[in-house]
Amino acid sequence: MTILCVRFQLPPMYETALPGLLGLLEEFTPVVQALPPDGALADLRGAERYFGRTALELASVIRVRALALHGVDCVIGAGPGPMLARMALRDARPGLTRAVAGDEVREFLAGKPVVALPGVGARTARTLCEYGLDTLGRVAAAPLSTLQRLVGARTGRELHEKAGGVDRGRVVPDAVSRSLATERPFTRDELDPGRHRRALLSAAEELGGRLRALDKVCRSLTLTVRYADRSATTRTRTLPEPTAHSAALTTAAYGLYEALGLQRARVRAVALRAEGLDPAEHASHQLTFDPVDEKVRRIEEVADRARAKFGPRAVMPGTLAA
Amino acid sequence: MPGFTHLHTVSGFSPRYGASHPERLAERASERGMDALALTDRDTLAGSVRFAKACAKAGVRPLFGAELAVAASAPSPDARGREPVRQDRRRTPVRGGAFIDESTPRVTFLARDGARGWADLCRLVSAAHTHEGLPLLSWEDNHADGLTVLLGPDSDVGRALAVGRPDRAARLLAPWRELYGDALRLEAVWHGRRGTGPGSLRLAARTLGFAAEQGVRPVLSNAVRYADPGLGPVADVLDAARRLVPVDPAKGLDSGEAWLKDQGAMLEAAERIVEAAGFRRGTGLRLLEQTQATAAECLVDPEDDLGMGSVHFPEPHLVGAGRRTAQRALASRAAAGMVLRGYAGRREYWERMHHELDIIAHHGFASYFLTVSQVVDDIRHMGIRVAARGSGAGSLVNHVLGIAHADPVEHGLLMERFLSKERVVLPDIDIDVESARRLEVYRAIIGRFGTERVATIAMPETYRVRHAIRDVGAALSMDPAEIDRVAKSFPHIRARDARAALEELPELRELAGRKERYGRLWELVEALDALPRGVAMHPCGVLLSDASLLTRTPVMPTSGEGFPMAQFDKDDVEDLGLLKLDVLGVRMQSAMAHAVTEVRRATGERIDLDAVPEGDPATYGLIRSTETLGCFQIESPGQRDLVGRLQPSTFHDLVVDISLFRPGPVAADMVRPFIEARHGRAPVRYPHPDLEEALKGTYGVVVFHEQVIDIVSVLTGCGRGEADRVRRGLSDPESQERIKVWFAQHAAARGYDAETIQRTWEIVEAFGSYGFCKAHAVAFAVPTYQSAWLKAHHPAAFYAGLLTHDPGMYPKRLLLADARRRGVPVLPLDVNKSGVAHRIELVSESKGSKGSREPEEPKGRKEPKGPNGPQGVWGLRLALSDVHGISEAEATRIAEGQPYASLLDFWERARPSRPLAGRLAQVGALDAFGANRRDLQLHLTELHRGARGGRGDQLPLSGGRRTAPAGLPDLTEPEKLSAELGVLSMDASRHLMDDHGTFLEELGVVSARRLREARHGDTVLVAGAKAATQTPPIRSGKRVIFSTLDDGTGLVDLAFFDDSHDACAHTVFHSWLLLVRGVVQRRGPRSFSVVGSAAWNLADLLEVRREEGLEGVAERLAGPAGAGSGAADDEQGPARRRLAGSDGRPAPAGSAARDPMEDRTIRMPTGYEMHPWADLRPAGEGPAVGRKLWHQSPGSAG
Repeated sequence: MTILCVRFQLPPMYETALPGLLGLLEEFTPVVQALPPDGALADLRGAERYFGRTALELASVIRVRALALHGVDCVIGAGPGPMLARMALRDARPGLTRAVAGDEVREFLAGKPVVALPGVGARTARTLCEYGLDTLGRVAAAPLSTLQRLVGARTGRELHEKAGGVDRGRVVPDAVSRSLATERPFTRDELDPGRHRRALLSAAEELGGRLRALDKVCRSLTLTVRYADRSATTRTRTLPEPTAHSAALTTAAYGLYEALGLQRARVRAVALRAEGLDPAEHASHQLTFDPVDEKVRRIEEVADRARAKFGPRAVMPGTLAA
Repeated sequence: MPGFTHLHTVSGFSPRYGASHPERLAERASERGMDALALTDRDTLAGSVRFAKACAKAGVRPLFGAELAVAASAPSPDARGREPVRQDRRRTPVRGGAFIDESTPRVTFLARDGARGWADLCRLVSAAHTHEGLPLLSWEDNHADGLTVLLGPDSDVGRALAVGRPDRAARLLAPWRELYGDALRLEAVWHGRRGTGPGSLRLAARTLGFAAEQGVRPVLSNAVRYADPGLGPVADVLDAARRLVPVDPAKGLDSGEAWLKDQGAMLEAAERIVEAAGFRRGTGLRLLEQTQATAAECLVDPEDDLGMGSVHFPEPHLVGAGRRTAQRALASRAAAGMVLRGYAGRREYWERMHHELDIIAHHGFASYFLTVSQVVDDIRHMGIRVAARGSGAGSLVNHVLGIAHADPVEHGLLMERFLSKERVVLPDIDIDVESARRLEVYRAIIGRFGTERVATIAMPETYRVRHAIRDVGAALSMDPAEIDRVAKSFPHIRARDARAALEELPELRELAGRKERYGRLWELVEALDALPRGVAMHPCGVLLSDASLLTRTPVMPTSGEGFPMAQFDKDDVEDLGLLKLDVLGVRMQSAMAHAVTEVRRATGERIDLDAVPEGDPATYGLIRSTETLGCFQIESPGQRDLVGRLQPSTFHDLVVDISLFRPGPVAADMVRPFIEARHGRAPVRYPHPDLEEALKGTYGVVVFHEQVIDIVSVLTGCGRGEADRVRRGLSDPESQERIKVWFAQHAAARGYDAETIQRTWEIVEAFGSYGFCKAHAVAFAVPTYQSAWLKAHHPAAFYAGLLTHDPGMYPKRLLLADARRRGVPVLPLDVNKSGVAHRIELVSESKGSKGSREPEEPKGRKEPKGPNGPQGVWGLRLALSDVHGISEAEATRIAEGQPYASLLDFWERARPSRPLAGRLAQVGALDAFGANRRDLQLHLTELHRGARGGRGDQLPLSGGRRTAPAGLPDLTEPEKLSAELGVLSMDASRHLMDDHGTFLEELGVVSARRLREARHGDTVLVAGAKAATQTPPIRSGKRVIFSTLDDGTGLVDLAFFDDSHDACAHTVFHSWLLLVRGVVQRRGPRSFSVVGSAAWNLADLLEVRREEGLEGVAERLAGPAGAGSGAADDEQGPARRRLAGSDGRPAPAGSAARDPMEDRTIRMPTGYEMHPWADLRPAGEGPAVGRKLWHQSPGSAG
C-alpha cells in the first residue's frame, strides 16, 4: 500500500504543466516516475516513516496541495506495487482514493476484466476473451502452459504472475516527460492536402518551440490522422538525428503524411507527437559544410527570442500568417 | 427576336448530376415560352421516354441527345513516344479511397436525323458502356451520320481554349471535323464565373472567336442542370455525392446559373458574350439564330423514330415456326397439346381453343405465344421448376402449350381477362422460376435469342428519405454515426415527406426536437426526392425483340453478371412497344425443389409436386390449424387470421382465400359477408337467378374480376371482351358514370327489372377495379397447396428447403422455432454430417442422441409411410452455408472431404480459414473432435500458426481422434446460444426465450400457447422476439402497427392503434425483444390477437433484472413514458374495441385521443382512405436476426 498512482485532471494539450506537478510529488519522495501525459507513480515507502503518516493520508495531502498550488484536481490509487496502484486508480474518483491492501489482492483482481491489467493491450485482451479468459480470476485459474500457448512464452508467464497478484515492478525515478503532443482539428471534413500540410506545419512549429523551451530534443515523431468516422491512422518515424529543429520536424511530418497517400479520406484532425525526449545537451548534431543549415538554426534562435518577447504570433512561417 | 432552344440540358436521370426531373424541365420550358427542348443526359437515354411524354403534354418539341465522355483521338506520331511518361502512379490511400476520376472530356451528341439519329445515339451510348469502369466512348466508336455534336467547355477543344492554347484547340478540332464535318458545333456557355474556366465569360468569348476563325458554327447553351434558379446547393450536394467528397466552399460551388433560363436572359448572355469576343452587340441575335437553326435540324419524332406504339416480336424462325407462318405453327402446336393433355375428345375445349386462336390471329400475337412457349420449354429442359402466373393463366392456348398449369376451363378462367379483340394492349405472361436459378434462365434466354434481341430491364434506384439523409449528411460533413442514427430512425418514406414525417410521426418526436441542429439538411433532403441515384437490373423483366433491338434502345452491361441491360425501365419499355417477359425468381419454388431433391436423396422416394393428389385431408387440416408459417402466400399474420376464419377445405377455397386477402376486397368489405355465408350464418343471395351461375362458387359475393365480367356480359349481353373493357373503366369515377347509364339501358333492354339492375349495379360499383383476377389467384394457389402439402407430409424436407432458400417474410430463426414446435428434431451443425445446404437425416430410435434437444411437443412426429417409405423420424440437419462468412468454395470443400477422422485431418483437408474454423468450433460443429469448444479453438489457432510457419506442427492428441484438453473454461450455455445467434443467426439448440423463463414467470407473462385459452377482453402481458412489423394500409385510414412476437411456444400477433403510438411506436420499431401489455381480441376459435397498450424493450429489462434485481425493474416500469410505459389509461376505450385488421370493419367514430393525422388521409380513387404513413417499411432494421437478439457476454468472441 505504499505506491501511489496519481492522475492529474489536466485538460488535454496542457501536458507541459506535468513537470511542475511532478515537482509537487517530489516534495514527498524522490522516487517519482512520470506517466505522460498526465499521470505519475510515487513510491512512498520512505515517506510514510518520514512524515509519520500513512500513504492514504499522504494522498489526501497531495490532492489538497495540487488543488491549492496548481488548481488541478487529481485521482489517486494506492497499492503494494506499481501495477496494483495503477489498477486501483481505475476504481478511484476525485476525493475517493482507492487503496488495495496486500491481503486482498487476489479478490481485488479476480473480478477485473483482463484489459484492466497494465501491459495487456487490446490485442492480447481480445485473444484472451476469445478463449473465455475474460477476467483476471479466470486467467489465474488457467494452466500456465495453456496461457503460454495462447499469448507466447514470456507474455504468458508475466500474465500468469500478474493475474496471481505478483507485482514485480518498481517505480523508476524518471521525472522527464517523455513526449509532447499537439493536435490541429478541422471544423469540417477536410480533404485538401494544402490545408493538411498547413496544419502539420503549424503543429511541427509548435512542437519545435515547446521542445526548445524545455531544452529537449526528440528522437521520433508520430503522426495521427483522425477521420470523420472517429477512426484514426497512426504512423511513427524515427528522425535521422534527435532534434528540436522545427524545419527538421516539419520535413518528417510531411514525409509521414505523404506516405499515407490520402485522397478522399475525410480528415477531422491531425495530431503530432514528439517522442523519446532527451535533454538537448546530450544530443549530437551532424555538422555540414552547407552554411544554410547553420543560418536557419540561428534565425530560429532569434525567432524564438522574438516570440518570447512579443508573443507566439510575432514570427511565423509565411503560409501560416495568411 | 428569334426564339431560343436549350440544346444542352440534363435531368435527374444523369445519376447524381442533374437536379430536376424531365417532367419538370418540360413544364418549365413551356412556361418560359420555349417551343423545343433537348434532353442530353450523361451517359444515358433513360429519361427519354418520360421526357417525350412530358413534352407532348406540355406542348414542347423534344430533342434527344446524350452527353458522353469521349476518349482522345489517336495520338499524333510525335506524341506517341511520350505516353508512358505520363503514367505517374499515385500511392494507394491508406484510408478513404482514391478520388473519382472525372477528367475525361465530355461532348454532347444530339440525334438529328430521325430514326437514324436515334439509332446512332443508342449505338454510341451502348458503346460507351462497354468501357471498363466509368462509361467512355472510344475514338473508334466515335462516328455517326445522324448526330449533331456540340463541343462545349468540357470537351478537349474547350479545355485547350480555357488554358489559352487556341493552337492546340485547332489541332484537336481537326479530327472532329473530319468525322462530323458540318454537324459540328462549338458551344459557348456563360455562367457568370470569373477567370477563363468553364462557365466564364472569357472562355465563352474565346469559343466564339475560335468558331469564327475556324469556320465552325457556334451555338449558345446554358449547360442546364436544374429547372429553377436557387437549386445550386442541390447541385453541390449531388456533385459531392457523385465524387464521394464533402461539399467544400473553398473548392468552388455551383454557380447557381445553370437553370432553364428564358429567351430574354439567354439573349442578354449572348450579347455579353459577343461583345466580349469583340463583335457588335447585334451579333448576339445571330448567335441565337444559329442555336435555333441547329435545334430545327434535329428532327426525331417520338412515335415514328423511337418506335413508340409499335410491337416487335422475335423472328418466327427462332421460335420453331420453320418456314410456316407463326400463326400456323401456333395452331398446330396447340392442337398437338390438346391431344397430349387428353382434351381431344371434348368439344368445348376445341371451341374455346379456336376462339382464342382467332383473337391471337386478330392481333398478330402468335409469335409472342411461341416465344413464351419456347422459353418455358427451354427452362423445363434445364430441370428448373417453372409456373405461369398472372392473367395469362386464363388462356387455354397457354395451358395446352404447357405455359400454364391450371386448366382454365375447369377453374372458370376467362381468356377475355387476358386478351380480347376489343382491347389493344400487349399481352402479359409472367412466369415464375426457381429464384436460385433465375440467372441461369436469363442466360438460357439470351443464348436462345442472342444478345441482339434480348436485354434485361433497368430499374432506377431513386432517392428516398434514408439515402437522401445519408448523402446530404456526408456532403455537409456531418458525423457519420449521427447520420446513420438519423437515417435509421426514419421509416422508408419519400424524401419529400421528411419534414412532414418529423412533425407527425410519434417515433420521430425526439429527433424532431433537435431538427434545428441540422440546419439545411432537411431542405436539401427533400430536394433530392425521387432523383435517380443509380441503376440496377430489374429483378424480373426481360426484353425480347427482333434483331433491331439495339437500334431502338441503348444497352449497358449489368454490374455483376454482365447481362445486357436496356437503360429503360419497365414503364418506358411498354411505351416503346418492346415485348417484356417477366421471369420472376420465386424462392418458394427453389425451396420446394430443394425439399423434393432432399427427399429423393435421403429416401429414394420421387415426389412429383405437380401431380400431388388434390384434396388431401392432412394438407387442409394443416392449413385450417393456421400453422402455415412458411407456406406460400398464407403465412402472414393477416392471412393466418383469415385462413383461421375461412377454414378452407378445397382448392377453390384456397383460391378464394388468396383473392380475399387484398386491399381491395378488404376495403369493399367482401370478407365478412363471405365468411358469414360460407359458415351458413347468413343466407346466400343473388341479385337475379341468372347470375347464380357466376356467383355460386363464392356464396353470392363478388370476389373475382372474372365474375364481374360475367355479370356485365349476362345482364347486358355485350360479350365478355367488351365486359372486360367495362370492368377496367370502373376504376375511373368519370367513366363510371357513363357506364352506369349504359349498363342500365342495356340491362333494361334485356328485360331485367329496375330493382335487379339497381342492386347489381351497386355490387359492380362497390367492386370497382379492386377485385382480384381469378387467373392470378389460381396461379398463386398452386404453389400454396404444394407447399402446404410438403409441410404436412415431409416437414423436415420442407424446412430444409425453406431454410436453404430463405423465402417468406419471417427470419430463419422463426422457421426453426416452428420446426421445433412441430416436432422436427433440429440437428446441430457437424462438419462430418452437414452439407452445403440444409439436409434431412433419419433420426434413429434413440431420438435426440445427436445433441438435439427433446422437442417440446411430440405430436406430428411421424412421416407418412409410403409404399417403400421410411419409418421413424426425420430430422433437419443445419447447413454449412448458414455459417457467417463462409464462402461457397469453403462449404463445398468441407462437404466433399467428409468424413474427417480428427481435427488435424479436418484442418488439412478442408482447409477452412482461421476465423471460419473458430466459428465452426464455437457452434459445436467440431464437437466430434473434442468436448471443450475453447480448447478446440486453441488447437485451431496453433494449427494455423504451424501452417503459417511452414512446419508441420504436431498436435497433442489423446485417445486417437479426440484432442487433448487444455484446461480452458468451456462455453457456458448462454455463451453457446449467443455463439449460435452470432454465427448462424439462429438459435439452433433451443429457443432463445427459454433462458428468460424465470423472469417472465416473475412478470406473469402469458405464453403464446396459453394465450389460446385466454378470454376475449383479458388484459395480458406477452413477451418474445419480434418477428415482423408492418404498417399496412387498412380500411379505417388509420395507421396501425402490426407486429408478431415469437416466444418459443408459438406466435403472438399484436396490433397497436394510433392512440398508443406515442408511447409504443419507438419501442416497437427499435427493439428486438419486446414485452407488451395488451388486451386479447378474439374473433374465432383459432383467430385472436393482442391489442397492445404499452411496450417495453425486454432486453433492457433483462439487463436491469440481472443488475438491479426486481426493484430495479419495478423502478423502470414506474418510470416516465419515455421508457415505453404510459398510455396506461382507458384500457377499455372505444378505440381498443375495434380491430381494424383484415376484417375491415370500419372504425367507430370518436377515438379517445384526437389524431393529428386525421385530416391527412390519402384518398384513393375509389374512396378508400389511406393513412399517409401506412404501407411503409417501418423504421428500425427489420426483424431481429442473429446477435442483436442477445446481450453480448464478455466471454464470447465477437
